Amino acid sequence: MSATENNNEIKDGNEIEKDANSRVYELAYLLVPTLSEEDVPVSYGNLKEMVSSFGGAVISNEMPKMIPLAYSMAKVISNLRNKFNTAYFGWIKFMMDSDKVLELKKKLDLDITVIRFLILKTVKENTIAAKRFVRPDMHRKPKFAKEGTDEPAVPINKEEIDKEIDAMVAV
Amino acid sequence: MKQDYFSANNIKYIDYKDIEILKKFLNPNGKIVSHKRTGITSKNQRALAAAVKHARFMGLLPFVVK
Repeated sequence: MSATENNNEIKDGNEIEKDANSRVYELAYLLVPTLSEEDVPVSYGNLKEMVSSFGGAVISNEMPKMIPLAYSMAKVISNLRNKFNTAYFGWIKFMMDSDKVLELKKKLDLDITVIRFLILKTVKENTIAAKRFVRPDMHRKPKFAKEGTDEPAVPINKEEIDKEIDAMVAV
Repeated sequence: MKQDYFSANNIKYIDYKDIEILKKFLNPNGKIVSHKRTGITSKNQRALAAAVKHARFMGLLPFVVK
């Protein structure tokens, strides 16, 4: 996921540190899958703008991308209960005043393009582990591989094998 | 898993978005594996449980696997 992380907009340190009350938050959201491909960047831009309008300084974010949901979610849009099995998932990490976050939440509650959202306290650093880890129980594998490689190492003499087969067939 | 997976791999913040790691700590039904079986520290186990629950809310992980 870290590869797709883009638009790193780290502002100058002094601008962020101006208020001791501010801290790092992360807003994760699911957008309705009924949005067309062209509308997704628009809603994404709107969300970013909304965060900045409350004095949030964007640290990092990820473009919403279509994901299959692990279970179906429902959202009531204009008195109609809609069920969704896919959604556009994206997130924004930002720095904001702790008292402004509640206002942001209230505004997001009214957004009809957002199925769900989650605002979490987090850390400024990139939290996604960059490399894929090898499982510790993999150390047994080379043992099997060694045994496997030993056999083909013996030079194969075609004539000898033919003779052996002939002998076996004769029996 | 005898050792703490997270300190072994130098993960300081357990991210709910990293579902490949979180999946290692789910049983086939999608339940969080107990502290006894994971072998990770109590602090990390609590952080792990929170991360899994956040991931479930956002539809990244299932609540139950039927």
